[in-house]
Amino acid sequence: MKRILINSAAMIALTATAAQAQLIFEPGEDERFNWASLEEFGAAHSGLEGQRFNILGPWLGGDQELFESVIPYFEEATGAEVEYNGSDSFEQQIVIDSEAGSPPDVAVFPQPGLAAGLAAKGQLKPLPDEMRQWIVDNYAAGESWADLVTYAGPEGEEQLYAFPYKADVKSLVWYVPENFEDAGYEVPETLEDLKTLTEQIAEDGETPWCIGLGSGGATGWPATDWVEDLMLRINSPEDYDAWTTNELKFNDPKVIEAIDEFGWFAKNGDFVAGGVGSVAATDFRESPAGLFEFPPNCYLHRQASFIPTFFPEGTMIGEDVDFFYFPAFSEVDLGQPVLGGGTLFSVLTDNEAAMAFIEFLQTPIAQEIWMAQTGFLTPHTGVNTDVYGDDTLKRMGDILLNATTFRFDGSDLMPGAIGAGAFWTGMVDFVGGQSAEDSANAIQSTWDTLQ
Amino acid sequence: MELFLLAVSTIAIGVLGCVAWFWGSNYVLDSILPPRGPNAGANIRRAGMVRPWLFLGPAILFLGIYLVYPVLNSVWLSLMNASSSRFVGGDNYGWLIGDSKFQESMINNFLWLLVVPALSTLFGLIAAQLTDRIRWGNFGKSLIFMPMAISFVGAGVIWKLIYEYREAGAEQIGLLNAIVQALGGNPQTWLSLQPWNNFFLMIVLVWIQTGFAMVILSAALRGIPEETIEAAVLDGASPWQIFFKIKVPQIMGTIAVVWTTITITVLKVFDIVFVMTNGQWGTQVLANLMYDWMFRGTPDYGRGSAIAIVLMVLVLPIMIWNIRNVRKEMR
Amino acid sequence: MDGMAGQKSSLTWAVNIAALLLVVLWTIPTAGLLVSSFRDRDQISTTGWWKSMTSQEQSSFVRTGAAEDQVQDGDLYVLEGDLVGEGQSLSAWGTSARDPGAFAPGESTDVDGATLTVTEDGQYRMESTAPFEMRRGERIFVITESPPSFTTENYSRVLNAQGIGRAFMNTMTVTIPATVIPILIAAFAAYALAWMEFPGRALLTAAVVGLLVVPLQVALIPLLRLHNEIGIGKGYLGIWLAHTGFGLPLAIYLLRNYMVGLPREVIESARVDGATEFQIFRKIILPLSFPALASFAIFQFLWVWNDLLVATVFLGNTRDELVMTGVLRELMGSRGGDWEILATSAFISIAVPLLVFFAMQKYLVRGLLAGSVKGG
Repeated sequence: MKRILINSAAMIALTATAAQAQLIFEPGEDERFNWASLEEFGAAHSGLEGQRFNILGPWLGGDQELFESVIPYFEEATGAEVEYNGSDSFEQQIVIDSEAGSPPDVAVFPQPGLAAGLAAKGQLKPLPDEMRQWIVDNYAAGESWADLVTYAGPEGEEQLYAFPYKADVKSLVWYVPENFEDAGYEVPETLEDLKTLTEQIAEDGETPWCIGLGSGGATGWPATDWVEDLMLRINSPEDYDAWTTNELKFNDPKVIEAIDEFGWFAKNGDFVAGGVGSVAATDFRESPAGLFEFPPNCYLHRQASFIPTFFPEGTMIGEDVDFFYFPAFSEVDLGQPVLGGGTLFSVLTDNEAAMAFIEFLQTPIAQEIWMAQTGFLTPHTGVNTDVYGDDTLKRMGDILLNATTFRFDGSDLMPGAIGAGAFWTGMVDFVGGQSAEDSANAIQSTWDTLQ
Repeated sequence: MELFLLAVSTIAIGVLGCVAWFWGSNYVLDSILPPRGPNAGANIRRAGMVRPWLFLGPAILFLGIYLVYPVLNSVWLSLMNASSSRFVGGDNYGWLIGDSKFQESMINNFLWLLVVPALSTLFGLIAAQLTDRIRWGNFGKSLIFMPMAISFVGAGVIWKLIYEYREAGAEQIGLLNAIVQALGGNPQTWLSLQPWNNFFLMIVLVWIQTGFAMVILSAALRGIPEETIEAAVLDGASPWQIFFKIKVPQIMGTIAVVWTTITITVLKVFDIVFVMTNGQWGTQVLANLMYDWMFRGTPDYGRGSAIAIVLMVLVLPIMIWNIRNVRKEMR
Repeated sequence: MDGMAGQKSSLTWAVNIAALLLVVLWTIPTAGLLVSSFRDRDQISTTGWWKSMTSQEQSSFVRTGAAEDQVQDGDLYVLEGDLVGEGQSLSAWGTSARDPGAFAPGESTDVDGATLTVTEDGQYRMESTAPFEMRRGERIFVITESPPSFTTENYSRVLNAQGIGRAFMNTMTVTIPATVIPILIAAFAAYALAWMEFPGRALLTAAVVGLLVVPLQVALIPLLRLHNEIGIGKGYLGIWLAHTGFGLPLAIYLLRNYMVGLPREVIESARVDGATEFQIFRKIILPLSFPALASFAIFQFLWVWNDLLVATVFLGNTRDELVMTGVLRELMGSRGGDWEILATSAFISIAVPLLVFFAMQKYLVRGLLAGSVKGG
């Protein structure tokens, strides 16, 4: 009896290691996965045996391992070989490599602006036209996604140049449920309630918010997310789009209102932990720590879905900490807007297998493999959401799927000099005491000088 | 192992190649124009005109391809638009003059130029002189030299542990604020405290560059002939007099070299500002501004290159000073 | 003579103290990093590194057992457990996040009808006459004193990282040729600029100074394009050439200025004796310039060793080509929040350059070698 047990244990161990190196979930085994889509894809792309291509992306460490767990399914189905390389200076490297004539076959862009720039220079290969319609049909808020990856090519004609794969949600507020219970606070349903709650916490002699804008060289970006989220809650999505292209000027009263709304939270010494002075000085990675201190340094923290990486070790999401959707105003009829981000895949060479890889990303299985692990959300409506690795991911995924409006992080859509420059600096200056008008004027004047 | 062989053979080929070139070309020159026989005088003169270029050849080739060509390329790009597709003449330079961030960068770069080379050289000189006179000098030198060996990302973390801010009364994890708080003061957000934050960034570079200055100056100090110092000691000169009146004048040339090198490092200062503030709170400098325009978001090569050209033009006074120096040496 | 000796010893004292002060001032920041590299991330961001040597007060919470953990003791329902870890001591506790230190050890309080007692050795006991029904345990907040704790986990993580051995070899392969070749080329050029007379010498020297200031960033795209066009592509040859090119101006400048300072008579007399320029260079200049060669070697080595930018552009970053800095960067993750890894890797990557510095140090002294030519 004992002997048999040991033997089978050894067998399991053996098969486990063999499978781990290749496929993290055995095809055909778990019924929640859409294995049929993998077979179908494999059957349609059988002529790629032995072809190889490489992918350059911004993912390193954990994210890299996760993405590399998806690739073997493609390799298994087609027989092609894929190599992924991550770079922490991706933005710089993709520009240098493609300009110098040695581009990767596929690039993973974290920002649409950069992809649009390379598309205009003719560095990206256009994707098939049907793919645009596919995105519109199969992604929640599909038009928003399709517009995000349609750029003007070298001759100025609009074409699909990238495919969105992997999304994240930014409209989240994190809190510690038990601290809420202790103090008798409730999760707000509307933005009005959230503001009332903020005032109430302050009246109780506590600090409602932890806000940290510090990020070394990128200091200021967390504030741009705040302003964008509030923009979507005050103004129409059309205004938001116009804002990212500067048809709506940065110093337009509508934008200034959104900045001031952010100021209502961040520029009130009673509302932010450490006082207004520490907002710009606190690192965004350390900012959520205030939630977990005793007594709590703050009760609320607005940040995107990736932030749990920086929670203290062993924090259980859903138990020790939880999140709610950053609510919309009930008075303003704008539905449930969601601010998010995502990564976009583009092909840069005439590699047949690389193009097939983009098609592979469209299959439900390519999304489900990563979904079943961690850190991956998708607006793909054809996937089985039961696959999500944990309840938290599923709830975030639901926010994405229920969005009436999805808008991409606006600072990533603006020209680099604004979205990764003047906007950041402007927000740091704003929190530092400048008026919303002055900050907005400064940003607009930088925008005016762009060619 | 294969890699190891590759590395070893490269060194061998590289070194042998260089030696073969220098020795071989000299040999050929000497056989064509032998420095003896009836035309010895004329031959020596003619060979003398060719020989420097044999010695300089490989260096000029490398400098030409790896530095001069990119510079010329930048000059051209700086006259073009953002995507280098249209000639715009001096537009990028016109824009520079009016840009407030550019003006801020010029002022900051000027401040850096005043403070950092002076302090680094001074501390380097003191460190060199002190460590040369004590038993544990080599150990002390290594410690002062250590910052040079730390990558700039590492330096960013190190100084974060110094400048970090926590609200008043809270447990400080930044050393500077912990000291301030222990003395009864209010903790400060040092890196956003204008205009002093510039100086807090400069301290980081001084901390790094002192090691450089020390190593070079220490070698120079030890090279001073013993006799001159012994003579001064016999004349009853005090240690201070020996240092300032005898030693420093003798190594003035080396001090100038150190000063110049650090000045140029300062002109190019990028990493520290990039990691610690990215030019926010009024700490922008030229090199970081250039990087912003070249690689952030949608690149604008035109403006980025124009800033690079300004950076290179700023070194002109140092070049002129050098030309004069070389002329003086020749006389 | 006695007076001189007394003066001398007090001077020695002053020199020692001043040197110590300077060294300490320069070492403190690095010391902080060293200490931090032995702490975990939560510790780094809660207390200053200088406090890591003393015991620390820390507030945290522990969950009691839930309904399934209760045991019946007579007619009481009881939950029991430990609140503090090994070596920690409890200084206060509480049941509300707002007042985590409300009670002293040994006191009792009521929690939802149950009696909670925490003893001084950190045991808690929750008693109730009715069975417990909660699905999750209650939070008990504790303020504990922990002895200093250090971990070598960061180091084992970095040293066991996948591909670090390969990366070490790669870095060595990049660094050594990229240090040796520029020195050789620069030494010849520096000699020509220092001791040969030819038209354009001053201008050329000034041009070298000017090239020192060229920002690397402007050179990356045109040079990689050039490498691709002439067939070098991305690889070791490319990165050696690039580092040689970028390192030359400083090398030539430092060496030239050093060589100019060499005694003129030695060189002149060798020329009179009929030595060729090549012989003068090899037999006189090269040995005399050892300190300058050694110091430049150190700087070039450091620069190449710590470089990431040139490596990622000219070498590529596939697994097989990754250099040390690349692997370390990967360990830090996409968002660079792992300061403990940063601190650790800074110390691991500093080891080799420091070794080089120590090894080269004895060559930095000119006197040793110059002694041999003093007579001439």
